[in-house]
Amino acid sequence: MEFFRDTHIDFMKYRRFWVAVSLLVVAAGIFSIFVHGQLNIGIDFAGGTQITLKFAEEPEIDRLRTVLGQAGIPDAQIQRFGESGEHEVLIKTPTAEGTEEGSRDPVVEAIDRAYNEGGGAELDLNRDGVEDVADALLAADPDNVAGQGDPEAARAHYEGVADAVIEVRREEGLISSWESLAGAPGVSRAALETLRAGATLGELTVLGVENVGPQMGRELRQKGILAVVLSLVGMLLYIWFRFELRFGIGALMATVHDVIIGLFLFALAGFEFNLTTIAAFLTLVGYSVNDTVVIFDRMRENMRRTPQKPMLEVMNESLNQTLSRTVLTSGTTLIAVGSLLVLGGDVLRGFAFVLTIGILVGTYSSIYIASPFALLWEQAFGSGARGRRKGTRAPAGRSARAETPTRRNRRAS
Amino acid sequence: MNRNLLYRGLLILVVVAIAAISAWPLEDKINLGLDLRGGMHLVLEVQTADAVKSEIDNAMERIVQDARDEGISTIEARREGEQIVLTGVPPERDEVIGRIRQDFLGETWDWDRVGDRIVFELTAAGRAEIRDGAVRQALQTIDNRINAYGVAEPVIAQLGSSERIAVQLPGVDDPERIRELIKNTAFLEFRLSDYPRAGGGAASREEVLSSYGGQLPDDIEILEGDVTDPEGRRIGTQFYAVTKRSVVTGRDLKNARPSLGQFNEPVVNFTFNPQGAQRFGEVTGANIGRGLAIVLDDRVVSAPTIEDRISDSGIIRGNFTNREVEDLSLVLRSGALPAGIVYLEERTVGPSLGRDSIEQGLRAGLIGFSLVVLTMLVVYKLTGINAVVALGLNVVIVFGALAYFGATLTLPGIAGIILTVGMAVDANVLVFERIREELHAGRTVKSAIDAGFSKALSSIIDANVTTLIAALFLFQFGTGPIRGFAVTLSVGIFASVFTAVFVSRWLFDLQLARRQRVERLSI
Repeated sequence: MEFFRDTHIDFMKYRRFWVAVSLLVVAAGIFSIFVHGQLNIGIDFAGGTQITLKFAEEPEIDRLRTVLGQAGIPDAQIQRFGESGEHEVLIKTPTAEGTEEGSRDPVVEAIDRAYNEGGGAELDLNRDGVEDVADALLAADPDNVAGQGDPEAARAHYEGVADAVIEVRREEGLISSWESLAGAPGVSRAALETLRAGATLGELTVLGVENVGPQMGRELRQKGILAVVLSLVGMLLYIWFRFELRFGIGALMATVHDVIIGLFLFALAGFEFNLTTIAAFLTLVGYSVNDTVVIFDRMRENMRRTPQKPMLEVMNESLNQTLSRTVLTSGTTLIAVGSLLVLGGDVLRGFAFVLTIGILVGTYSSIYIASPFALLWEQAFGSGARGRRKGTRAPAGRSARAETPTRRNRRAS
Repeated sequence: MNRNLLYRGLLILVVVAIAAISAWPLEDKINLGLDLRGGMHLVLEVQTADAVKSEIDNAMERIVQDARDEGISTIEARREGEQIVLTGVPPERDEVIGRIRQDFLGETWDWDRVGDRIVFELTAAGRAEIRDGAVRQALQTIDNRINAYGVAEPVIAQLGSSERIAVQLPGVDDPERIRELIKNTAFLEFRLSDYPRAGGGAASREEVLSSYGGQLPDDIEILEGDVTDPEGRRIGTQFYAVTKRSVVTGRDLKNARPSLGQFNEPVVNFTFNPQGAQRFGEVTGANIGRGLAIVLDDRVVSAPTIEDRISDSGIIRGNFTNREVEDLSLVLRSGALPAGIVYLEERTVGPSLGRDSIEQGLRAGLIGFSLVVLTMLVVYKLTGINAVVALGLNVVIVFGALAYFGATLTLPGIAGIILTVGMAVDANVLVFERIREELHAGRTVKSAIDAGFSKALSSIIDANVTTLIAALFLFQFGTGPIRGFAVTLSVGIFASVFTAVFVSRWLFDLQLARRQRVERLSI
């Protein structure tokens, strides 16, 4: 199947219109992100604690908020997490001044107290680890192995039993009923009875904790900004080295355009900006440049082949020739990223979103931003060809730099 | 078959075989990151300033003690910032101070007389030495504790030459306990009780103070301790006046293990090394009937009465639970931390979250892969098979490389692989589109393929180098999971260039070699 055979679309005709549209969107983006401060900065960069809890029954967000408020943690953000029916909740608290260690302990203790009748149970199978469970079993010795005179073997036996019990939790996140333990391999009826008598199944379990102290957040912020800026500079240098300055400028404009619009939409969608987001944006930068480079590559080739043709025509011709590839590659990448967006789960959703936007906007900007800006730069400052094309146009040399753009401009306009 | 074709085929076979063998079976060979297998990542900072401060205190005590022993009874010392200021030393005895410094403190201290004061100051080298020593010792202590607790494949490393230590513990199911275990300073001291002199504590600080007439002697300080009910719950505070100097410290312990006391209550049983035993024996022998406070991190655990001379072993009793006794024995065995630590960053992922992530990533990957394959077949018909083979090998090589180099697969890493699947066909698309163009221009199939590959090459290289630059900066910047992404993305780029240029070309050539003349290409 061929989509675009021998197309002759005059892409450059409406370049002023599209550049204007883009500039407007970029301006709106800059305003919304930097002036309005709409970006939702995650704990990676702002510092704070994020706790993922799983409950035995669907918890009421309002009740959680009240519980935390009473415990002196009033400004927690509480939201549902994961698929419905999994009873998972994400609690985020900002950094308390002067502390690096975050709010994990007070938050979990407060909720434990509220949901587990006072909390602090001696042994909670949804909280404690294999060691504790094994200790409890060893003390009660339901399988009668301790009496056989080999304490190490007895310990090993009960560690195995405890591990089988905790494996149920590892599998399901939370042990919801005693019945679900009945099928655990190696857990005897007597052992189960012992646990039933001596342990509780807490109403909640901590699935994950992320805490970033303010110091770490500050450092990650600086490193993140540095990484994005450096990679932009690195790509500009590479393109400048491989092509000509005007192409470098064109690619840079397109990339900056993509990043800002990506950030804008990312902020509008309300995703949280975290470490993975930086990875997504750096990939976006790479992808955006990649897309542009292929088109520039063709322009360079066509410029060598038909040096007499005006720049504008060369650009249009190259855009048409690469159109099929541009659409197809964007299409396949979009398929991959789209499946990630839909199926990849909550953790990667923001990441996949950035890339989806990046591919769409990046494809557009390769055509409507990169080339017009390369042309604009040439019209304003000359080709910056560093003599590479002089030979083909003006063997005399010196005057070529000044002459070439003017002549070409006349034809272009 | 053409020789050249055969060799190229063999090379491809070898690469793919090595990749497949390295990566199979996946679940054993691929190193999963903490975000996928579940586990705990901690970054902690050793409060080396505390270590410097305690070193200064020790030095000060030492100087005063020795100067008094040398007969300079008027000596007074105090700490001013990081300096020790001595007063009451007659100038003609300066030589004694110099000797003490030479014998006990060494070159890491500078000293100078300023008027009637003598000022001691740590040199920069001395401070650095204490700092480095503290971090090294903390690293060793944490390592001991984690090994004693029993975590498989822990990674404990100093970050650069900083005061930070990163700890990675895969698959822990009681993160809270381990966090406490690592953080426990566990500085154990035995000190003689002064009030109540026969052991035990007083109900209030005022009671202790009034027994000294409101003024504590220089060598005595008041410490607090918990009062607990029989279940080990804290119900109040008691106060103890104890000597500032300790009889022995945790450094003199040889071993400590959980045991049961005379009422079957959990206690810690400890033994001393020879020096500790000798010193402990002397002091207990000389102080029968007096209290001995067991002090852990500046809090009194208990203050029993010395009933007999004890030399090499003893028990620590203090209304402990079983778990507390186990953990206390463990930290005492592994040694004290030289200074407090603070957790700067913690990321704990439960195993069930990790499993969900793997499942979702796998599903997204499979569906994405199938859709890309379908697209290529629809767009390029039979030639699409060429791209699909290249894509399949690409995925095999990516996993092979991950396994071969022992790289860690993280959740963003899975995203990187999925992204690679989408982007890997880019090189194929570049080549195929070029071939189509050349065919439209009227070239024969063979020369169109030749031209397609050679002309697309420059674009392929440029396009991939730019993505590689992004990946490089990501790797430089990233912490664990992000690095995983940078790694899979870079590996994917190399693999896709190999498969799309080398493998795909070989597939075309193979097709051409089979038939004498190729009139049509299904593209």
